Amino acid sequence: MSVWGALAGGFAGTLVLTTVLRAGSELRLTRIDLPFLLGTALTEDRLRAKAAGYLLHFVFGLLFALVYYAIFSAIGRSGWWLGAVFGLVHGLFAGSALVNVLLPVVHPRMGSPETAAHATALLEPPGFMMRNYGIRTPLVSVLAHVLYGTIVGGFVALGS
Amino acid sequence: MAHAIRDYALIGDGRTAALVARDGSIDWLCVPDLDSPSVFARMIDPDHGGHLALQLAGHRAASRRYVPNTNVLETTLETHDGVLRVTDALTLPGRTLAPGRELARRFECVSGRIDARWTLEPRFDYGRRPPRIRSWSSIAVADAGGDGLAVVVDGGDAIHASAGRLEGRIRLRQGERAMLAVTASHHEPLVLPAPRETEDRLDETISFWTRWAEARTYHGPWPESVMRSALALKLLVYAPSGAVAAAPTTSLPEELGGSRNWDYRFCWVRDSAFTLGALLSIGCGTEARAFFSWVMHASQITRPKLRVLYRLDGRESRREQMLPLAGYMGSTPVRIGNAAADQLQLDIYGGLMQTVWLYVQAGEPLDRDTARRVADIADHVATIWAEPDSGIWEVRSEPRQFTQSKLMCWIALDRALALVARGAIPGKNAAVWRRERDAIGEFVETHCWSAANRSYSRAAGSDELDASVLLGILFAYGGGDEDRLGSTVAAVRRRLASGPYVRRYSGDDGLSGREGAFLTCSFWLVDALARTGRPAEAETLMEELIALANDVGLYSEEIDAADDAFLGNFPQGLTHLALIGAAMSCAAARR
Repeated sequence: MSVWGALAGGFAGTLVLTTVLRAGSELRLTRIDLPFLLGTALTEDRLRAKAAGYLLHFVFGLLFALVYYAIFSAIGRSGWWLGAVFGLVHGLFAGSALVNVLLPVVHPRMGSPETAAHATALLEPPGFMMRNYGIRTPLVSVLAHVLYGTIVGGFVALGS
Repeated sequence: MAHAIRDYALIGDGRTAALVARDGSIDWLCVPDLDSPSVFARMIDPDHGGHLALQLAGHRAASRRYVPNTNVLETTLETHDGVLRVTDALTLPGRTLAPGRELARRFECVSGRIDARWTLEPRFDYGRRPPRIRSWSSIAVADAGGDGLAVVVDGGDAIHASAGRLEGRIRLRQGERAMLAVTASHHEPLVLPAPRETEDRLDETISFWTRWAEARTYHGPWPESVMRSALALKLLVYAPSGAVAAAPTTSLPEELGGSRNWDYRFCWVRDSAFTLGALLSIGCGTEARAFFSWVMHASQITRPKLRVLYRLDGRESRREQMLPLAGYMGSTPVRIGNAAADQLQLDIYGGLMQTVWLYVQAGEPLDRDTARRVADIADHVATIWAEPDSGIWEVRSEPRQFTQSKLMCWIALDRALALVARGAIPGKNAAVWRRERDAIGEFVETHCWSAANRSYSRAAGSDELDASVLLGILFAYGGGDEDRLGSTVAAVRRRLASGPYVRRYSGDDGLSGREGAFLTCSFWLVDALARTGRPAEAETLMEELIALANDVGLYSEEIDAADDAFLGNFPQGLTHLALIGAAMSCAAARR
């Protein structure tokens, strides 16, 4: 197992994850746009937000790959299938807690169930499993994260 | 026994809203959100709906008002022994640990002494889930499934819990106060607020609304009515997303005892241009941007097609269902969800493009993705405008070639061309849009003009009338000559109006029964008169309409011309939007 394998896998995995989400949007399966959601935490300018969001998304992708690597190292096993399982858990966590609960808390422009009349949200909150962005969003998001995990797991195993 | 719709006032916090009757009974509340299932719904089922009611020994009279420039209601109840002032608000969360939702009810004995009994019957999920109820001295809790409701009383007797009901007594002498807080949670533990904190939140809520009202920028005639409309609209803005609900209620009937009972707790694309125009004109720039952002985001999946309505959180519309409730004064069915979501209504494209146009005119930029999507919508309109549809009034009869739908398609393409001219959207298909816009104009002028009525008709080849064609004036339809528009205003007034009461249309709509006069159409008539050089008539009509509001300045969807009883969902956002628009047009005509 190699940390460089994890980083390479994180980069490639994030590339695929982002592409799948974008394709899901173009195919009208979902309104999710993770780079946009992340970037608008920094700026209201949509174009700049997307650019900053892509950068942030890749940084997070690399950080999550390092977390995967740490767990692989701790249990002494890795591989694409184990990565896929991690990706599944990661996708479920992202939809149920990370983007649904934590992002609205730290995002200055996103609404949350607690947003009341004295605040104005510029972005609708994602809701449980991000279903507010389309009923098929959980499927697209979980699939994208499983692919991410598979790639990270595969790259880590390649380096061993 | 339900109260008259006119007897209710609205309070809210930007997430949900409650309706309070003149006697202090709270008969409508959905938690946690405006479109969630109800916990109080006595309006649509007196026996099983749930409520928070007050009974005063020796009750004589009631009066009420909003605390000036707020959405906080003050009801004064007189008894033989004293006077009680009840202040009701859905509080806004502050810095301390606040309940998920909090209804604060402050009791103040203004003179003499009072003896008030309160009863609370929580009926979760439209009464479909029986509550589990417990009480400990001044605190009580009711829950069902993932929903909970707590009652905390300060300054009253111990709470008594019985089957499905909580009861208490508050006895005060002059100058004494008590507080009753009802808090709600959804999928999380209940927060039991300290009375002092509820008091503070209530005072801060009053301060917030006062500041919000002071920041509005309207300086024209009927300022109180416009401000009340603005405050009511703010309560229909679902703050977590920026969507604007058409009304906070479901199934208040358009005909007493009839079946025209619909769920209005959705955001209609049809209303978007009115919403954005009103928000911009009263200085709600932030709300306008949030609303525009939400509309464009919500419609992304179905692009370039638009759905007629969207849920407030952006999710897919729920299927229309009927609930086994008694209905408002026996008006059944009680519906949740709205089947109009699946209709084809061409007018919504004009509404959306007008919205984009207003947004750009206000100096707001469109990003590349949004601009591309707007152009795609214009392409779509150019291909579908000739189809029959269900029209703005969502008739449930066979689709027809409704005139107003064609007018709005003309407006959609005309605004798209204006946006191209301004460099706001790509214009590679502008020639097609221009050709189709002109074709629509020709269709309207050839097939939708009734020589017999000297008016644009309700549909192609018909002599029926429809007040919604007045929107051709409000949105600057330019496919015909101005005389025809002016003549249509006169025909609508002659055939559909009786004093301030205007019916929506003549002819069939696929539903049994009749309906009341449609207040939005009355305000559109004011607007049209003001814009067609008849400002004196417009102002006279406006004065008559202002007098039809209830005692706290709110309007429903419809009104019975015979007795001025309100009908339909309440309060109705579109009516208040039309009021603001009419006031603006009258102000412009004065200048």
